[in-house]
Amino acid sequence: MNFPYGTAPLAILLIAVASGAWLIAPRYASSPLEQRPPDLVYATFVKEHAEAYRPAIAKFEQKYGVRIQVQVVDQKALQDRLQSALQVGAAVPDMVELMYGTMGLFTRGPLADVGFVDLTERIHQSGLYDRLVTNRFSKWSSRGHIFALPHDMHPVMLAYRRDLVEQLGIDVNQLTTWDEFCRVGRQVVARTTAPDGIPTHYMIDLPTDGSDILRLLILQRGSGLFDAQGNVTFDSEQAADVVCWYVKQIGGEQRISFPCGQGQSFTLAVLDGLCLFYMCPDWRTLAIESDIPSVSGKMSLMPLPAWTPGGIRTSTWGGTGLAFTKQCRNFDLAWKLAMYLYYDPDQLGPRFAATQILPPLKAAWDRPEFFQPSAFFSGIQLGHAYAQFAPQVPQEHDTAYTAMAVNKLSEAFSNTALYYNSHGDRGLRDFARGELKRCADRIRIIMDRNVFLKESGSKSPAPS
Amino acid sequence: MTIRPAIAAPPAPPPPNLRRALSDAPRIGGLGWRTRARAVPYFFLLPFVAVNLVFFLYPLIRATILAFYQTDGPAHRAYVGWSNFNFVLHDPDFHKAMWNTTVFAFFSICLQLPLSLGLAMLLNAKNDRLKGIFRLAIFAPNLAGQVFVGILFSVLFTPHYGLFNRFLQALIGWGLEQQWLGDPRLVMPAIIIASLWMYVGFNMIYFLAALQNVDQGLVEAATIDGAGPAHIFWNITVPAIAPVATFVVVTSTIGSYQLFELPYNLLANNAEGYGPNNSGMTVVGYLYQYAFHNGDLGTGAAVGWLLTFIILAISLVQIRVLGSVGRET
Repeated sequence: MNFPYGTAPLAILLIAVASGAWLIAPRYASSPLEQRPPDLVYATFVKEHAEAYRPAIAKFEQKYGVRIQVQVVDQKALQDRLQSALQVGAAVPDMVELMYGTMGLFTRGPLADVGFVDLTERIHQSGLYDRLVTNRFSKWSSRGHIFALPHDMHPVMLAYRRDLVEQLGIDVNQLTTWDEFCRVGRQVVARTTAPDGIPTHYMIDLPTDGSDILRLLILQRGSGLFDAQGNVTFDSEQAADVVCWYVKQIGGEQRISFPCGQGQSFTLAVLDGLCLFYMCPDWRTLAIESDIPSVSGKMSLMPLPAWTPGGIRTSTWGGTGLAFTKQCRNFDLAWKLAMYLYYDPDQLGPRFAATQILPPLKAAWDRPEFFQPSAFFSGIQLGHAYAQFAPQVPQEHDTAYTAMAVNKLSEAFSNTALYYNSHGDRGLRDFARGELKRCADRIRIIMDRNVFLKESGSKSPAPS
Repeated sequence: MTIRPAIAAPPAPPPPNLRRALSDAPRIGGLGWRTRARAVPYFFLLPFVAVNLVFFLYPLIRATILAFYQTDGPAHRAYVGWSNFNFVLHDPDFHKAMWNTTVFAFFSICLQLPLSLGLAMLLNAKNDRLKGIFRLAIFAPNLAGQVFVGILFSVLFTPHYGLFNRFLQALIGWGLEQQWLGDPRLVMPAIIIASLWMYVGFNMIYFLAALQNVDQGLVEAATIDGAGPAHIFWNITVPAIAPVATFVVVTSTIGSYQLFELPYNLLANNAEGYGPNNSGMTVVGYLYQYAFHNGDLGTGAAVGWLLTFIILAISLVQIRVLGSVGRET
């Protein structure tokens, strides 16, 4: 065959035709139900969630004769694209799963302009509010209005290398307060320090920039970044307590921690037993199990030590919420799907077995899957263990300034850590208090600038 | 054997009355030949002008207007006058971002450029088959891009397990547990090290090209006259590569002030991408935080304008100073 424009253009043309056919063919080969546009589009950033939902969604589709499309999108991409699309009125999915800490980005303007359906009334009318752990709604609310349904509880426990802890003669039942935990930790570090000055074991994995762990400890101590009204609160006395405690554990002569990081370095640290204890919300148990199978049976879980004797033994880290966009084509169907996926006890048992994430529906915690012993965690009944502490999970409030507050808390914390390294304990508390106040005030100034929040009613400020 | 002419015969001369014939040609669409002939250059310029109007001038005007508004995404805005500029100029975070960026730019130029020039001189020293391989190896990191390099170095700098830490420990018995990305004092050195790895080869290519254009006749004459390598370098090589050096210094400075992806990805797991105590926050990072994370495009636009003026001022000073140095040498 003689193609007039040469062999290369012919090859390109053939590839174009073949790839086009490959893209179009499945559409015609699929069933009539698959060919029609979906009745609802459900976007999530968690691959594991999507995989766990698929069998349930297939049943839902069959029951109602509808088609649901589940899209898995990278978290950052989902957040940025959704934010942009909502702002300019472009097409968005009907239902979207959001990551903790991001709701504030979508609710920073006037309430009427929030791109999600206000669920407050529906949640109260349907009785859902009382069936769930109510603390979990705070993360997904803005100015008293609920904009998403909580997917999970995420209580935090301590995962530990049971074999090494036992070898070192540590009785975890005695580690009931952080003071006791640190005292034992100092002994461990002193005992295992090699001649080169580097310990083989640290007591706990603590990042040196504070970040999520600092926040969860502040929550456990009874404070947080913001209160329910959206006021900055991280310059509280409790936060100062935690910051002063934390900097002593990551630096100086009394140090008991090492920052194990994430991913490969975390895996290696657990394998080597570099740290004995790790902060472990429910979602992390599955990650540890699948990433480090070789420590199966060597791991176990214990509640967080309390700040004061008899105090709260847990906190919270992470969270997912399901929001309905205002463009949702069939809200009633979407609500039915949400109830089916999120709060149907029959779904939640197998879901927990697959994801090891504790749902906020109290009625689900009695299902047999929650009492299944975990061979990986030395026979502990994971669901039951986490459910025991779920009602104590502290409230966490999210605003448009959460990310900035996290950043400023980290700044105050870092400065305090530097101060501790150079000055020691002398004047530490006053310094921490001053830094927290300075950083919190900065957030207050930035919040005060927001002309859109000042008009907290439903209207936008006079647009130009 | 006949020898065919190498050059084709010139075309037949146009008829003497062609111009007149063309000018007398019937008008098409109301435009005469002269008008159309005058319009041709503008027609060729049209794509460039259109693209510039749409993607440069229009956004520039919009950004100027936007800098005087507070926005909640692109949908809502409220006029705030000079408030955005006033806020940014008094914001300690902006000062910190400016300081970080300036420190980075300073060390980028003071470390990167001598290293790039040194490598270029090594590769220019003699003809060697391995030269091409070395040139590619040194340049290759630049092909990876800032995002990749950021992620790569975040693994290399991992305390206890990172290759960089292990290398330091093996070499000098220090550094195994250093938290390059967790200690605010070490974050900037970590960014500079990652950036060195990435950009040294890139700038080396410019210097290599400049060195290859140094007049070898002058070098030989100077050698015959008894000039040593140092004299040749300062009196022949430096003046010859001065224009390229000026270009490299100015572009490196501009690039340094636009730094964002590298620290943002390097510090992705440390304080929201800005490092502990904002030690890795750059001016563009600050802009990104306000414009795209907080949704206040107005403040972002104000930062953008401030950055433009800063870069412009520094570049003008550099061109003037380096230009006069080049003339003196």
